[in-house]
Amino acid sequence: MATETEKSAVDFDRSIGDFHYDVAYNFDAGTGLNEGVVNYISDVKAEPEWVHEFRLKALKTFQSKPMPTHWASADLNAIDFDKIRYYLAQGQRPTRSWDEVPEDVKRTFERLGIPEQERRFLAGVEAQFDSEAVYSNIKKAVGEQGVIFVGSTEGLKEHPEIFRKWFGKVIPTGDNKFSALNSAVFSGGSFIYVPPGVKVKHPLQAYFRINAENFGQFERTLIIVDEGAELTYMEGCTAPKFNTATLHSAVVELVAMPGAKIQYITVQNWSANVFNLVTKRGLAHEQSEIKWIDCNIGSRLTMKYPGVILKGRKSRGEVLSIALANNGQHQDTGAKMVHAADETTSNIISKSISIGTGRATYRGLVHVPKHLKHCRNNTECDALLINSSSRTDTYPAITVRGTGNSVQHEASVSQVSAEQIFYMQQRGLSEGQAMSLSVNGFVNDLVRQFPMEYSVELKRLIELEMEGSVG
Amino acid sequence: MSNDTALLEPVKEERTAPNRGLFVSSFAGRDDLPAWFREQQRRGWSEFSNLPNPTRKDQAWRFSNVDALDLRPFITGGASSDDERIEILERSIPLHAQTGRLVFADDHLLERDALPESLRQAGVIFQPLERALIEHEDLVRKHFMAQPATLGSAKFTALHSAHVRAGAFVYVPRGVEVEVPIEVFHWLSRDNSAVFPHLLLVADAMSKVTVIEHFRSLNEKTYGFACGVNDLIAGRGASVKYVCAQQWNEKVTALQINATAVERDASAMSLNLHLGGAYSRFESLSRLVGEGARSDLLAVAVAHGEQEFDARTLQDHACPHTTSDLLYKNALSDRVRTTFGGLIRVEPHAHFTDAYQTVRNLLLSDDAEANSMPGLEILADNVKCSHGATSGQVDEEEMFYLRSRGIPPIVAQQLVVTGFLDEVIARLSDKVIGDHLRDLIAKKFRRARS
Amino acid sequence: MQQLEIRNLSVTIEQNEIIRDLDLTVGVGEVHAIMGPNGSGKSTLAKVIAGHPHYQVRSGEILMDGQNILELDPDERARKGLFLAFQYPSEVPGVTIANFLRAAVQARLPEGEELEATDYYAKLYAKMDLLEIDRSFTSRSVNEGFSGGEKKRCEILQMAMLEPRYAVLDETDSGLDIDALKVVANGVNSLRGPNLGVLLITHYQRLLNYIVPDFVHVMVHGRIVRSGGKELALELEEKGYDGTRERAAELALA
Repeated sequence: MATETEKSAVDFDRSIGDFHYDVAYNFDAGTGLNEGVVNYISDVKAEPEWVHEFRLKALKTFQSKPMPTHWASADLNAIDFDKIRYYLAQGQRPTRSWDEVPEDVKRTFERLGIPEQERRFLAGVEAQFDSEAVYSNIKKAVGEQGVIFVGSTEGLKEHPEIFRKWFGKVIPTGDNKFSALNSAVFSGGSFIYVPPGVKVKHPLQAYFRINAENFGQFERTLIIVDEGAELTYMEGCTAPKFNTATLHSAVVELVAMPGAKIQYITVQNWSANVFNLVTKRGLAHEQSEIKWIDCNIGSRLTMKYPGVILKGRKSRGEVLSIALANNGQHQDTGAKMVHAADETTSNIISKSISIGTGRATYRGLVHVPKHLKHCRNNTECDALLINSSSRTDTYPAITVRGTGNSVQHEASVSQVSAEQIFYMQQRGLSEGQAMSLSVNGFVNDLVRQFPMEYSVELKRLIELEMEGSVG
Repeated sequence: MSNDTALLEPVKEERTAPNRGLFVSSFAGRDDLPAWFREQQRRGWSEFSNLPNPTRKDQAWRFSNVDALDLRPFITGGASSDDERIEILERSIPLHAQTGRLVFADDHLLERDALPESLRQAGVIFQPLERALIEHEDLVRKHFMAQPATLGSAKFTALHSAHVRAGAFVYVPRGVEVEVPIEVFHWLSRDNSAVFPHLLLVADAMSKVTVIEHFRSLNEKTYGFACGVNDLIAGRGASVKYVCAQQWNEKVTALQINATAVERDASAMSLNLHLGGAYSRFESLSRLVGEGARSDLLAVAVAHGEQEFDARTLQDHACPHTTSDLLYKNALSDRVRTTFGGLIRVEPHAHFTDAYQTVRNLLLSDDAEANSMPGLEILADNVKCSHGATSGQVDEEEMFYLRSRGIPPIVAQQLVVTGFLDEVIARLSDKVIGDHLRDLIAKKFRRARS
Repeated sequence: MQQLEIRNLSVTIEQNEIIRDLDLTVGVGEVHAIMGPNGSGKSTLAKVIAGHPHYQVRSGEILMDGQNILELDPDERARKGLFLAFQYPSEVPGVTIANFLRAAVQARLPEGEELEATDYYAKLYAKMDLLEIDRSFTSRSVNEGFSGGEKKRCEILQMAMLEPRYAVLDETDSGLDIDALKVVANGVNSLRGPNLGVLLITHYQRLLNYIVPDFVHVMVHGRIVRSGGKELALELEEKGYDGTRERAAELALA
């Protein structure tokens, strides 16, 4: 197909991500989680005392909260927090030039094609290797407009007046057990500030790479887009396949000031040993717009429900998500839309595909409190089952008050039928090609809404995942 | 009055055997009742005592006002006065003239109209539970509370089985069709009275039957607690219709727990009209246990004032080639809250399942709150499942059109709401019962306006 | 050996014998029609030729240009040049006709060879012009929400693009009004030629007014009971299938 001739924007191919190099770490907080680990992280980062205290408080919150297995997957109990390494780094300061990135780390990103993509179409790149960013750079023209794009540590030290104002405000430490964990041991991630009226033309990208075994990656991202400004941010992630569980638990907070627009694109392609437990939420002020585009392909268990708090009048929130649960995987994803002002609108479109013994779960929350006028929500979730052992669940929760608001939720489950496959085979397509084409047809109308670089690659990745799923 | 017993005796200090021996069975000393039944009552009490109270953190009670379930004020065993009995009987008018009828007030049997001779000859049984336990022990025992309570109210199902004494047992033998509906009336008359209405309906293969339960309060001011269970069993190829007209007064706390089992090629249709109660919770489990089975789950709630309606449903497809279709509609005024938590579950190997679930909320005031949690769990393939939940308001254009014809707004709104709800009632395809339900809805609107 | 040859074919589904000892040969360049009452096994024959997995072939062979295709998967048969126009074509939601056909054409190219987009579209539009199909048609999802006539037209367009050696048209006239029938028949006629063998399966004679066959076979109870020229179809139209049923009974006793 023609798509294969186009060059990939972001590497989705699991086989490309499945490698790792031995790297010498200069900083290692050891195995297990306690106050000492938190002190160590704060210490090597030479953080201000308020951050240190914030971390210690979060650790207590984390320890006091039970695993949410009363509603979530019991597979969470397989995470052994005492066997995880919480901080591994070669150093704390990212370089501005690929030439200065240590050779043993640089070859990883070169193999993933990051420097090349940066040249081609990105406005800036941050590359995180285990706990710290090794490279962080923004194109000169973008930097000159006043756009800040640095790591979280640098952000909190160099720009405390903006950082402190919003840090932990969109997602409080105690929001859930894993946001508390992240708050205690966070390292890496991006801090971005776009000044009023600046429309960043090309996307900023972060690439998160886990290299070490028995490791937990806890990046923390805070993005503030000021009045009338616009930003597209993309993140990609991979890890090698290890036999032991790896934990990725990020917190991402977005703040869209009046009239701002943020588009946050994630393509998660973790290997099948990764627990991916991520909290993402945006705060939308008046007439602003926050859009999450979320593609979950890999991991062992993903729990992620990007949300928007629609705080300002006429603000708009959107979540477009695609989840593909292959053999043994559980994609537990969804969206949260909290309407808190008049004339706010939200849109959720979720499509999931379950292959083999894969399980896809949709959880949604839509809240329209009373005395709001002219709020609208539209939710559509469609699930496609490929094999008889595949599973899908949908659990939305919708609260609406008042006469001025309307919500609608629709969900459907369908299956690629044997007759459909036979029909396509009769036209000369192999069973695998037929299946792949059906699946692409299922996601097509949603993928069309994604930026071009993504839709092309996403389709290619789905095809790769479909291989061997038939029979 | 000396029979009054507090529903919940104060818990004594002894921790070794909590609550044991405190329970006074309604049938205490009734050695004529089967031992298994009395044992089940004792077990029910002990389970009730041991199970924790629900909290909103329980998924099955999310959004529910669990504080409404304070049972301390309620009493069992009280009986109505002679005047009250006369009034109750006068007001227990059946929809069809020649039918079987049972009338209970505060869990006491007031009157029993036996079935026509022809049906009795054909083997149809319609008896108070108490009598059926003796005369048809084996048949009752086989089905009595045999279905699991999985939708949150295990504790209250246990309470029901501890206290149950009033209710009906209906059995329709193979191939017999009962053309006129069988009707059961349950009344609350005394203040703080607690009742435990029970219905066990067993329709044998290829039979057909309709049963209506009427839940009513004698006056509008008395508090009360109703904890009912109805179990419907549609045998092979049978056709069962069940209608519940819930019109408790607006002080009552009501729980109604339904379990329906539909066997091969059988069909079950239930329609629950919820009008009364301060807090009214309805749990409905529909299990499709044979190929070709079909279940229709219908409900209408008309809520005003501070009423709260809480519905939890499960459409459980355990066999291939089964169909279920749920349609719930709520009209919400004033400061009411409604909650719908429903799940379609398609078990492994239940291929070729068609399952649908639709919930529509019509919000008529700014303070009304509608919570919807429609769910799907699909573990089989070749299924067609969908759910939809909408919450919206009366279309302004439609209102304007009616008003332009000189219809006052409140009447116009009532017309629109009636039309909105009628889709559910029309699905029943029974004019007499349908008109009765429409009439009850209209009366509630009139009460709301006055 | 330029022929599609069916030898001694017996087919069952769930123990029921649908086709019994059937023999039929369709040469390249010929148009054969199989007629028969409902339940005679006509549609089963079409699906068995294409390799539908529901049917069990108990005995016999199907030879395409001398090679037995019974062991081949449906897509292998298709790539060898077999086309089935379905009685009830499946919907393929979200996949446009253009993309679907492109994948099918690509599947026929040797490994490593890429289909040129411009060549493909040039050919597609030429075939659409030939069949008088509007350009906007190909951006619709395959059969999704199509009328009966549109579905059949879509089948003929696919046949035109995939250029089979043998085409089996299963009840192509079902669900079509007379106008749609003419359009479809014209399409088939325009593809007719020395390089295509056609097996037309139909219940009604009316299709044969528009697609005139070289040979007509009558199928009853899973057997071919009579064969002849195009005049046989007219005879059946006049006398119905009753006579042929008697013949089938005779064969069954024999």
